[in-house]
Amino acid sequence: MNQSGPHLETLLRRLADIPPDFLDEPRIGQNGQVFVPALVNDLLSHLGERAPLAVLERFQAKNGLADRNRLMLTMIVAWLLADDWFVAAHPPQADCVRLLDDAARELAQASAARKYVDDPERREELARLALARLGYRPAGETAAQATDRLSALSVSERRRLLAASRAAEARARAIREELARKQAEASADKWTRE
Amino acid sequence: MLAFLREHPAAPHYRNQSGNRLLAPEIETLRAFELEVAEAAVGWPPAGHPSWLEEYVKRVFEDVPHFRRLGSPPKRFGDIPAITRADLAADIARFVPDSVPIDRLINFRTTGTTGHPLLIASHPLVAGRYLAFHKRALRRFGIELRHGQGQVGVVLLGFQKKCFTYVSVTPVMNESGLAKINLHPGDWRHPDDRASYLDALQPEIIAGDPISFAELLTLPMTARPRALLSVGMMLSTGMRQALEQHFACPVLDLYSMNEVGPIGVFDATLNGHLLLQNRLYVEILDAEGHPVPAGERGEITFSGGFNFCLPLLRYRSGDHAKLVWTPEGPVLRELSGRRPVRFRTRHGAWINNIDVTHALASLPLPQYGLHQNADGSLALRLAPQAMPLAKRAAELLRPLLGATPRIIEAVAAGDKILQYTSDLDQALA
Repeated sequence: MNQSGPHLETLLRRLADIPPDFLDEPRIGQNGQVFVPALVNDLLSHLGERAPLAVLERFQAKNGLADRNRLMLTMIVAWLLADDWFVAAHPPQADCVRLLDDAARELAQASAARKYVDDPERREELARLALARLGYRPAGETAAQATDRLSALSVSERRRLLAASRAAEARARAIREELARKQAEASADKWTRE
Repeated sequence: MLAFLREHPAAPHYRNQSGNRLLAPEIETLRAFELEVAEAAVGWPPAGHPSWLEEYVKRVFEDVPHFRRLGSPPKRFGDIPAITRADLAADIARFVPDSVPIDRLINFRTTGTTGHPLLIASHPLVAGRYLAFHKRALRRFGIELRHGQGQVGVVLLGFQKKCFTYVSVTPVMNESGLAKINLHPGDWRHPDDRASYLDALQPEIIAGDPISFAELLTLPMTARPRALLSVGMMLSTGMRQALEQHFACPVLDLYSMNEVGPIGVFDATLNGHLLLQNRLYVEILDAEGHPVPAGERGEITFSGGFNFCLPLLRYRSGDHAKLVWTPEGPVLRELSGRRPVRFRTRHGAWINNIDVTHALASLPLPQYGLHQNADGSLALRLAPQAMPLAKRAAELLRPLLGATPRIIEAVAAGDKILQYTSDLDQALA
């Protein structure tokens, strides 16, 4: 976060104004409209240099539906990085790829992609994370201020996620136990039995 | 009522216990639900979606762990990834909404024919809601249920070596009796008791499947129900007509499955199964998961439903049909279980299994299966009680297939079988 970047508000507004095309379905198998490797290739060319095939393959769906949310996040990050400020700043391609791939993967585990557009806190987390991973801080902030704010946003979100994940596991276990406990047909009357 | 059902001198050996498990306030809830179902229109514009669907999708993506994992709901309904029975079988808990309290959960077990045994998460209210759709179907055939306290509303039949049997009452019908019995002689003190018991109960409705109804036809019972409800297997036209003639009452062929409940009722005037549920959206998909052009055959796929413990979203049922619009509402035509199978005729042409269904439709066969071996030879499997019809069945298939299938008596009581199977590679069209 050594370098001063754009004003945070600019990036927040850009995320809020994302065009509907960037929220379309990523192509997974036969379904979806957006071929994410092509989108990433266009972005990286726009930022200065085309990407090698091996890099673009990282943006293909390999795990079917499990990749959907991650690829949707990649599309949102791509929209953010296509901002004129980043085009002019010309960040290193390797850093951009890490942001589009690794960071999108991390964020996708925490929330639905749309939340990084619709929810003000998640929007700020994404904008700050993108700047930080490329070595920038929001204009007008010190490195310490930027680090503190990003950490506060991320830590509270991770805590929420961890608690939710534990609760979900416990509930799934309880449902499985309850269903096993209630013997099949002994359950309740239906007028017909399939 | 329970004592009458259990202690009648001709009563069977009841092997289990069950009940409606409803709480007092839920009975009024069920009555209100019945009213809603009775008055609701079923359907949606042919090229559109039901008005409730968008909000429903949003809620499911927020409340159901499996869908929440996918992220945000897609903008287009058709982009929602379909699920199958295998997904439900892998972990049903992921499909139960977070908002459903666990302590009242019940389950229904289904074995099916796909190799994926399944526990369906349900609730006493959901089980109680079935009757609303049965009433809607019966009303179509001019039947308004009128039994009440002190009378038997329904007898559910099984015909299996081992069967879950019990007695209960139906609260929304003023505690009328319900008996689930097994017609297999092993469940009775004397086989003759079966007819005596049914005559004593005088049920307004008898529910069963074609196999138990085939057994019912052999009993000298004199009681006449007001209607029969057939579920669980395909009911041939011949079998339906034989039952209608014998009992002089409507025989309703219900398309119903544990995952969805009663879906449609066959109406000969519409030449298909008229949909019954007002909050169930039906799509017909091709093998790749895309909607087929209107009127074409494909896999029946469900969204919505009345089981709030298992809200369905693009659930591929494994059953196939065409969806057509009629003035009465959407109708499933040429319904058949599982993926279509083609059979190679002796002359090398291919015919669809629907043609086989049509060819045998006039025979009162409770259940049958046709299999084609790798060398092209054919085997027709029949239930023991259908063996007298074997010769006629073979005669009906010969012009279609150019060959006479070998007849095998192979469908045991209570078996559910895959109706059409083949060892030929090109059989799955």
